[in-house]
Amino acid sequence: MRGKEYMSVARGEATGAAGQAKAAAAKPAAKPAEPQPEPKAPEYKHIGKPTRRVDGREVVTGRAKFTQDVKLQGMLIGKILRSPHAAAEVVSIDLAPALALPGVMAALKLAEGKVRYAGQQVAAVAAVDERTAEKALALVKVDYRTLPYVVDWERARDAAAPQVRDDKPNVEKLNEYSRGDVEKGFAEADVVVEATYRTGVEIHHPTETHGSVAAWEGDHLVVYDSTQNIHGVRDGLARALKVPAPSVTVIKDYMGGGFGSKLSLGDYSVVAADLARQAGRPVKVLLSRRDNAVCVGYRPSSHQTYKVGAKKDGTLVAFSLLNYASGGTAPGDDVAEPVVDVYKCPNCKVEEHTVFTNVGAQRAMRAPGNTQGAFGLEGVMDELAAALDMDPLELRRKNYSTKNQGDTGLPYSTKGLDKCYEQGAKAIGWERRNRRPGERSGTGTVRRGLGVATSIWWGAGVPGTLADVVLYPDMSVEVVCGTQDIGCGTRTHMAVVAAETLGLEPKEITIKLGNTEFPWAPLSGGSLTTPSVAPAVRDAALKAAERLKAVAAARLKVESGDVVMGGRKFSSKTDPAKSASFAEVYRDLRRETSFHGERGGMPGDRYAFNTFGAHFAEVEVDVETGRVRVLKYVAAQDSGQIVNKLTAESQVVGGVTQGLSAGLFEERVLDDATGNVVNPNLRDYKIATSLDIPEIKPIFVDVFDPRINNLGTKGLGEPARVPSSAAIANAVFNAIGVHVREIPMTPPRVLAALKRKESAS
Amino acid sequence: MREFRIAEPRTADELAALLNETREPVALMAGGTDLIDELKSGVEKAGLVVDLRKVEGLAGIAREKDGLRIGAMTRVAELAEDAAVARDFPSLRQAALSLATPQLRNVGTVGGNLCQRPRCWYYRDPQVVCRKKGGFNCFAYQGRNKYHAIFGGDSCFIVYPSDLAPALISLGAKAAIGTAKGDQAMPLEQFYILPEVDVTRENTLAKGQFLKSVWVPAPKAGQRSAYVKLKERGTWDFALVSAAVSGVVKDGLIAEIAIVMGGVAPIPWRLKKAEDVLLGKPPSEAAVRQAADEALKDASPLRENGYKADLVFAALKEAVLAIAP
Amino acid sequence: MENKPTKKSLGGVSRRDFIKGLGTGALGTAVLPPLLGQTIVTKKGRVPVYDQKTITLTVNGKKASLVVEANETLLDVLRDKLDLTGAKKVCDRGECGGCTVLLDGAPVYACMYLAIRADGKAVKTVEGLAEGEKLHPVQEAFIEKDGYQCGFCTPGFLMTTSAFLDKNPAPSLDEIKQALSGNLCRCGNYAKIYDAVDAAAKKMKGA
Repeated sequence: MRGKEYMSVARGEATGAAGQAKAAAAKPAAKPAEPQPEPKAPEYKHIGKPTRRVDGREVVTGRAKFTQDVKLQGMLIGKILRSPHAAAEVVSIDLAPALALPGVMAALKLAEGKVRYAGQQVAAVAAVDERTAEKALALVKVDYRTLPYVVDWERARDAAAPQVRDDKPNVEKLNEYSRGDVEKGFAEADVVVEATYRTGVEIHHPTETHGSVAAWEGDHLVVYDSTQNIHGVRDGLARALKVPAPSVTVIKDYMGGGFGSKLSLGDYSVVAADLARQAGRPVKVLLSRRDNAVCVGYRPSSHQTYKVGAKKDGTLVAFSLLNYASGGTAPGDDVAEPVVDVYKCPNCKVEEHTVFTNVGAQRAMRAPGNTQGAFGLEGVMDELAAALDMDPLELRRKNYSTKNQGDTGLPYSTKGLDKCYEQGAKAIGWERRNRRPGERSGTGTVRRGLGVATSIWWGAGVPGTLADVVLYPDMSVEVVCGTQDIGCGTRTHMAVVAAETLGLEPKEITIKLGNTEFPWAPLSGGSLTTPSVAPAVRDAALKAAERLKAVAAARLKVESGDVVMGGRKFSSKTDPAKSASFAEVYRDLRRETSFHGERGGMPGDRYAFNTFGAHFAEVEVDVETGRVRVLKYVAAQDSGQIVNKLTAESQVVGGVTQGLSAGLFEERVLDDATGNVVNPNLRDYKIATSLDIPEIKPIFVDVFDPRINNLGTKGLGEPARVPSSAAIANAVFNAIGVHVREIPMTPPRVLAALKRKESAS
Repeated sequence: MREFRIAEPRTADELAALLNETREPVALMAGGTDLIDELKSGVEKAGLVVDLRKVEGLAGIAREKDGLRIGAMTRVAELAEDAAVARDFPSLRQAALSLATPQLRNVGTVGGNLCQRPRCWYYRDPQVVCRKKGGFNCFAYQGRNKYHAIFGGDSCFIVYPSDLAPALISLGAKAAIGTAKGDQAMPLEQFYILPEVDVTRENTLAKGQFLKSVWVPAPKAGQRSAYVKLKERGTWDFALVSAAVSGVVKDGLIAEIAIVMGGVAPIPWRLKKAEDVLLGKPPSEAAVRQAADEALKDASPLRENGYKADLVFAALKEAVLAIAP
Repeated sequence: MENKPTKKSLGGVSRRDFIKGLGTGALGTAVLPPLLGQTIVTKKGRVPVYDQKTITLTVNGKKASLVVEANETLLDVLRDKLDLTGAKKVCDRGECGGCTVLLDGAPVYACMYLAIRADGKAVKTVEGLAEGEKLHPVQEAFIEKDGYQCGFCTPGFLMTTSAFLDKNPAPSLDEIKQALSGNLCRCGNYAKIYDAVDAAAKKMKGA
């Protein structure tokens, strides 16, 4: 850990989650622990095995209610008018013509003074139905005085470029880091490689667009929100509306994806609440697909120049990184974690700047920073391997580290990256790669290649996460937690842990989540849901099991220490003939009984807690059309104890697929002439289709971490995304002998790289 | 979506009369999969939408003694599944299967595909008033233009997005145009017009006219055809560059050839010069290189679409080599 | 294969809810309003023209008559007037497949299909896939193989898959990929969806 914010999902929002995560994970070193023999995971019946989702039936029958599907009595439809200008002074807003339209029940002015990007909200209306709301929106009269703007980040660096923000210049330092002496390191190096890697803007585009349904019941506000963070939205709404937090309830039952774009309060939620208050009726505000491309975030661009020095044998001696990131009106992502921490290297220097533009603010996107950083770092590692004439995997192993390379220097609690390398290489058939990039001449126009890339992420979970287990005399078991299932299978994970602990089947457990009335849990981002929630459920369920044993002991008239659970009954260890069925013991409870669980702390002062992975891709490249096809993919992950193998595999498959999609297709295109996004849709913003997907093999290396929490489980969602574009880019390098150095690797870029190679030779 | 009324004529005569006599702006709806996008965004402003679905005689594929007649309202899925098309015009089947998705092919029609509006992102943006929409600028010319034209652009640099049109033109298809005064036939190649003729539309259809069917001549002895579509992702993509080639290779030499490319110009782009180079030569990579170089002399790439020149060669090579027996 | 009309339900929605869900713009089968059309007179005859029209659909095996606007999509009618919210509005432009329903057995994007054109046709939505509580094999297979993550695109995938397997009961992997090529999964779970479609095909063959 480098003493910086633990993850950028928390940017601009002091959530309890991030604060606690940071406190837990980033405490300065006291004294590093001695290495210990590797402990083994317990044998489980459900945990780590494939379990079908407990809410599967709801989803496949279409009964699952997403925010988009919520319909309340008397509900109005709210719509938001957005600025077409990238920069303008809002001179006046006239709502009267809109309010005069029959069926319009409320209207709001949302912009005062300047708008700083095309898509910024200006006004809103609520009407009896969608078509009336649309008509009303067209009647709102806004007088703009347009101002100079800049949407191209490279142009924004010019001194003459229009200033985006009133409070600071367009270029600002984002991050600085240094260890050792890089100049000395480079002087000692036998080989030095320098190259610039660029990543384009990737938009989250969750299938369910952002939205809220707000309903006031007297002074109490109930909001159905498509969010990854119900508690954060509640706290944000309370602040924005100046009401006490307990006066707001936020509910999220099912959600159609977020990937980081739904981690905090959205301005549309406040609009829904304000319109509802004005109209005295519930209001639903759903954003459009276009809105998703202009005002709810994206992965910021990066422009990373690496210099790496190494000895002839591959020993790294120095790294430097200069990065320009652009996140519109907000700072871009710090991408330095991989270069600082993945490989052992005594000298390392990082300088990062952000460039402000008249574009909507970025938001954290699945593994923010590390994904971009992995593309750059892993690219330059492969170009170094080529310069050294070395196996890229060997180069990575050569510089393997067992402790944090950044500020803390703490040993990793566990690190199974070596196993990921070994098992992944075996599964992909690493020996089939071109020994030198592009060396296999091949016939025809198609070249094949293999590539590897490394993942590092956090994902330790948040101490203080709460969950309740409630036992009922009729043998019902309920698990209640104010977390949210964003598609990762959290309901099922909770059921698996409770069932495992209580000797039941997952489908017997009733799961309640997605409501701020339930015990506190952090946002679902940063790969922290499972390692936060599962240990809390485990804690509560262990307490429940203890109580049941005590009740059974009373019935069996033995000491409770003598009671064991198994085969759906409690029995005496010393006298196995004495036993009581689950039904009997639960009945003896006589009333429902709640057990409060909490995810405990971890020794953050003695260990660094991280997740790791190694991805391997095989591709073919048509050197005449520039088309890249991924043929095969292996993703080996070390995320500690897997809770549910079935949904964990989906997480990995999804991380790989999103990385493939970003690596080959996805790119927001901005036009400096109009100040607008020209592809705010799913036609010209291209997401991978079913015909782009190779065979994907997830591998879990099963490293047990007894220190991190009571289950040894770590996050997985982001670790599976970090290296996926990078592995594909490296495979393309291996195929064609030139690194494309920019994602997405579209045909024009692949063809340009081939020309670069041609002119160099 | 914009408000409009829907007219449902039942005969071609009614349709022609309606189109001829009405005074309000009209949009014709075949499958609607393109038109609805424009009605939703507001780029299409017509107050009267004329639904062709109930018009008799516009749908279906009919064998005629000297060719195949394909009604404008024939769904693309039917075209892709038609046995005669698969046997006689492989390029047409390949083009049909390459376009859009199964769901869109189930609704979208041949006529709709041939008359669709361009996908230029400036044209499709309701906030932008470009030349095609009566404004003064082509925003693509100096703007973001990786998908735009390298041939035939002038005041407007759209590419014509149809996959069927290049295939049909290369096969020598004729368009049947319905009018109030009776049907007119014209080579499909002449159906499309360049921006220099009229920047606001892409074909010759004047007020009162509609596309009724296309007729494809029966294949000549030894005729082979191929459609190659280069795109970014595996499917659901308009062509970056596509090549439709139809021809006859006799004794190892190209005796007849027609080449029409998509994705490179505001209309399906006939490569006459390349055809001339290839005639009398064996279908080889070297010949294609020469032909492509000749054709590319007419290209004037914009800032971001120069790569299309490479793709012209790649697509042409694959398509030409595919017609060698 | 279309479900026979049952008195029990319209998919997951009870008959009572269904009637109520029709709202003010529509009526049950008992009372039909007059056709709302006018005509344009031409030299060749009168051409019917509508800004609203009463249409009759068979939705999940059950007949429904209701008034729709000329500019209303089938998706909006299903979701807003018939309370069938299984089909999702994702892109609203025929660019994702989240609203896929079966129209006379063929998968189409409901967001790009005007409701007025569905007059007289049979529509099947995800709510009509199961028979009562008995899941369709495709639904079972998507659960077994974890053929989704967030589940928002799933109704569309299920409809595409069920129509596909009716036509092609023993598909190859490539055929599966082709058949699904009009549905986007943003969570990126295609690889698992292939497994689910394959498993569903085997279940249906065994059934």
